[in-house]
Amino acid sequence: MPSYRLQTIRPMAFSVALHPAFLLVVLSLKTSRSEVLGEPFQLTPEILTVSTESKLQQVNLQWTVPNLTHQELKMAFQIEISRINTSNIVWVENYSTTVKWNQLLHWNWKSEIPLECVTHFIRIRAMVDDAKYLPQNSWSNWSSWKEVSVQVSVAPNTLLIFPDNKLLEEGSNVTICLLYGQYLYNVSCMLQKEPIHGEQLDSHVSLIKLNNVVFHSVSGTNIHCKAMNATKMIFGTVLFVSKVLEEPKNFSCETQDFKTLKCSWEPGVDTALVWSQQDSQSYTLYESFSGRRELCDHRNSHNWQITDDSQETYNFTLTTENNLRKRSVNLIFNLTHRVHQKAPHDVTLENIDARKANMTWKVLSRGNNYILLCQIELQHEREVIHEHNVSVHMSASYLFSDLEPDTKYKARVRCADANHFWKWSDWAQKEFCTPEAAPSQALDVWRQVRSENGSYVVTLFWKPLLKSQANGKIVSYNIVVENQDRLSESEHYSVPAPALGTQLSLDPCSYKIHITANNSVGVSPESVMVLSNDSGHEEVHEKRIKGTKDGFHISWEPTSGDALGYVVDWCVHSRDQHCDLQWKNLGPNTTSTNITSGAFKPGVRYNFRIFEKSMQQKAQLLEKQTGYTQELAPLENPEVTINNFTSNSFILSWPSYDSDFQSAFIEGYHVYLKSKEMQCHPKGKRMTLPDYWVLCEYEIKDPEQKAFTVENLRPESHYEFLVTPYTSAGQGPNETFTKVMTPDENSNMLLKIILPMTLCVLLIIIACYWKSQWVKEKCYPDIPNPYKSSILSLIKSKKNAHLIMNVKDCIPDVLEVINKVEGPKTQCIVSGNPHNEDVSMKPPSSVPTEDGSSGSVPFFFFENFTYDQSAFDSGSHGLIPGPLKDTPCQLGLLTPPEKLLNVLEKDYMKSLAESPTEETSLIYVSQLASPMGGDKDSLATNPPMPGHCSEYKMQMAVPGRLPSLALSENNSLTSEILLGQGEQ
Amino acid sequence: MSQIKNQLAQLNGSANALFISYYTAQGEPFPNNVDKLCGPNMTDFPPFHANGTEKTKLVELYRMVAYLSASLGNVTRDQRTLNPDAVSLHGKLNATIDTMRGLLSNVLCRLCNKYHVGHVDVTYGPDTSSKDVFQKKKLGCQLLGTYKQVISVVAQAF
Repeated sequence: MPSYRLQTIRPMAFSVALHPAFLLVVLSLKTSRSEVLGEPFQLTPEILTVSTESKLQQVNLQWTVPNLTHQELKMAFQIEISRINTSNIVWVENYSTTVKWNQLLHWNWKSEIPLECVTHFIRIRAMVDDAKYLPQNSWSNWSSWKEVSVQVSVAPNTLLIFPDNKLLEEGSNVTICLLYGQYLYNVSCMLQKEPIHGEQLDSHVSLIKLNNVVFHSVSGTNIHCKAMNATKMIFGTVLFVSKVLEEPKNFSCETQDFKTLKCSWEPGVDTALVWSQQDSQSYTLYESFSGRRELCDHRNSHNWQITDDSQETYNFTLTTENNLRKRSVNLIFNLTHRVHQKAPHDVTLENIDARKANMTWKVLSRGNNYILLCQIELQHEREVIHEHNVSVHMSASYLFSDLEPDTKYKARVRCADANHFWKWSDWAQKEFCTPEAAPSQALDVWRQVRSENGSYVVTLFWKPLLKSQANGKIVSYNIVVENQDRLSESEHYSVPAPALGTQLSLDPCSYKIHITANNSVGVSPESVMVLSNDSGHEEVHEKRIKGTKDGFHISWEPTSGDALGYVVDWCVHSRDQHCDLQWKNLGPNTTSTNITSGAFKPGVRYNFRIFEKSMQQKAQLLEKQTGYTQELAPLENPEVTINNFTSNSFILSWPSYDSDFQSAFIEGYHVYLKSKEMQCHPKGKRMTLPDYWVLCEYEIKDPEQKAFTVENLRPESHYEFLVTPYTSAGQGPNETFTKVMTPDENSNMLLKIILPMTLCVLLIIIACYWKSQWVKEKCYPDIPNPYKSSILSLIKSKKNAHLIMNVKDCIPDVLEVINKVEGPKTQCIVSGNPHNEDVSMKPPSSVPTEDGSSGSVPFFFFENFTYDQSAFDSGSHGLIPGPLKDTPCQLGLLTPPEKLLNVLEKDYMKSLAESPTEETSLIYVSQLASPMGGDKDSLATNPPMPGHCSEYKMQMAVPGRLPSLALSENNSLTSEILLGQGEQ
Repeated sequence: MSQIKNQLAQLNGSANALFISYYTAQGEPFPNNVDKLCGPNMTDFPPFHANGTEKTKLVELYRMVAYLSASLGNVTRDQRTLNPDAVSLHGKLNATIDTMRGLLSNVLCRLCNKYHVGHVDVTYGPDTSSKDVFQKKKLGCQLLGTYKQVISVVAQAF
């Protein structure tokens, strides 16, 4: 039905008065003209309903085109959406569609702002856009605005946050809207722990725009807000941020049996979220030729059943999808080109011997024309040693040759479609071991010879055979020693493996030694060595060589032209007792070789010997070479001893180093001498040190020189010296100098004089002491023998034989036994108390004297020679220091008091027995009271005060009858024993 | 009665750990705003008077545990969905609910045997199924905060 737009009618002025019938005519004419001429016409849409889906923030619009008269007409619609008020247009969209008569049209729009927060308005207009009609140049009129709002009521002191439980993809943007209830203001929000800021839309609404949101947790991301005036109340919502759905990678399908297609892919990250917001993404396989669609049972694979055997080409679409996104990948292939062959089966190894083995296997075939390509590998110790490809129909075999005896191998095979290679099958494998064979190589042998107690001690060495040479486990080594001088004599030895040497003690003859290795199958070719009589005694010159960090280059001059070869040997551990002999066999035309070893160390001397092997297998020492891979400075200085030490020179000497312990070849020595203000020898190098010290350096260029004379020294001076060796790498360590001091020039002479003199004096003293009694007896006896007196000779000369009285001539008239109390007691008078000395006094008896006087000379016994004040006071003549009135004798010392007492006692008793007529009285003398250093006047006139007696001094007793003590002129006491007063 | 006391002691001993486990599993802002989000300000929580008679206390205990048991059941269900990886929290919630069921049985038995009370009217918490996720988390936290506080009082009252 034709439709009319009343708005397009322009009534003329005169038509007001026209008749309605005229109007009808005009209208009908205009309509018919529009249809016929195709003139544009306007159709205004009419909005029927505007609904919302709050959760999706979506506005759904339904409208019709009321006056549409055509059955079908292409139209364009323009929809405008404004926010808050109608003038604030936020969205304009053109929508074209074919409109049918009386059709209900739909359109929806998603708002970025939750619909609960702001009111939206929507209107629509249309334009015919159909090629069958004249193009319309203008839109129809707008429909009236329709208000779109979601009514929510916000209680006072409450905050509503929209959207609620929003699901979105990581990296997307979202606008959060806050609706304040009454009395709330200044609301701040946080996303987890990060503050987020928004804009205030009006007094009750604010918006927070979050850009590029990140995935936080499958449990969602909390947003919480609180108002400044109600901080105790927290409001929140949860954003469920999903990871971005990834496209499946490496999508492929293959078959092993033409019954099932196994499709697999890498699924990517799981986008599942909790709270039923989003499950893990699903995977769907769709095959376009068959039109089948299957939901995959696994995230990364699906088995697709081949139902139609005739289908060769497959076009698969793998689609993955979650609540937010869908992604697809496509794969098209021919089934026969995607055959993944099953692994070969029935793999066997047959006819295995030491050198070869035969492998057989079967494959799954799809018909007579189906050819497979199989790959065969032989592995030994995880290393592929043989690889080969063969074409196979049903079954096949392959012969492995050149195998090693007694070796484990792994043989394996895999196959693939020969026509359309897709993938190799899995490996099918089998392990096997070849049996042993006899050793194929002669042993590499060498020897070391030394003499011991007139016989040879031969140490034989051999290197173990390589596995490829031993061909099995070596059980033992056989040694046959043939005496070349006595051919009938040969000895057999068997050395069990794994020994790599043995020692033989042989007589000094020539020998031929055969060495073989045995395994369980057979014997190796023999190695032969000949020992001559002079083996081990060769003397050759030793040459020095210079090594490098890699080793040594050894070269030599051949002595004969028919050498069978050469052998270079050396010890790995030259410093140790354990030599670990190494050797290297070289060909006949060789005159040099490089010896390398990881065991070579810097600073260690290695000694090499080069032997020439003759055609008779006899080895002759050609050369000795010695050297270092790297020479080092000496590690220690020699121990220096000082010899011939004089006041102006000494000799330094030191022992030689053991060459094996030298860290390099010693080229000489440096001698350093240090002293104050010293003059160096012209050959020395002078250096001035602080504090007037001078250092002289002397160089000894001969390493064999082991002594150095230091001369021109000053007596009684300090010197310091250091002797250090030097090599090409430097000199020895800077150790502490040894200090010496030169002696005095006269010291030797003095020593030569004083020492013998001292010895002589000592000898004399010892002799005198030893013979003191004898000397005393001879020279000054206590009681001189009158018969031996020189006076006697004078008397004798006068012929007066009776001058000396004989004891037996005296006739005693009284005999008295006197008890003598022994032991002196020390007593001292400090106070005025009388001394209670028990002195037994005998009344003086009338003893005839020689001169006939019967003077009353008393004698008394005493126990103590203490100075007795009472006795002194009483005027006893037993004490000397008083004025010697009664005893005109003088003081004198003869012997020490003890000895004197003894002598007196002895003589007293003797006198009792032999000379009863002699006066035996004693005069007791105190040394304390006798200042021996004083003169006799003072002695007599100045008796000591009693107080002086407090110091006890040795006292002496002199016979009271022997007052003949005289003071010499020089006041020294001299002693003289007088026979009697008459003789004085 | 001793079993009731033991069960109360057991609940009291585990309540704090359950509470901590819960608010930790909810993520921010819960651990740093426990007082605001998990404060014991539930209005419909059954009352308990510690100075009442034993019968009164047992009746009030029964009401309270019935309320808690039902509410914790909802919390457990929500947490299984919301925090499926929080196995420790799930275990603690289940253990608490199991103990509460046993306690309910014992309390009812005691009431029946000693006080001849065969039935106690109980109340349950509001339906939270329509609440949004944040509100569910918050309500669960408030419930556990209240439970932690009340159970210590109850345990001391017996």
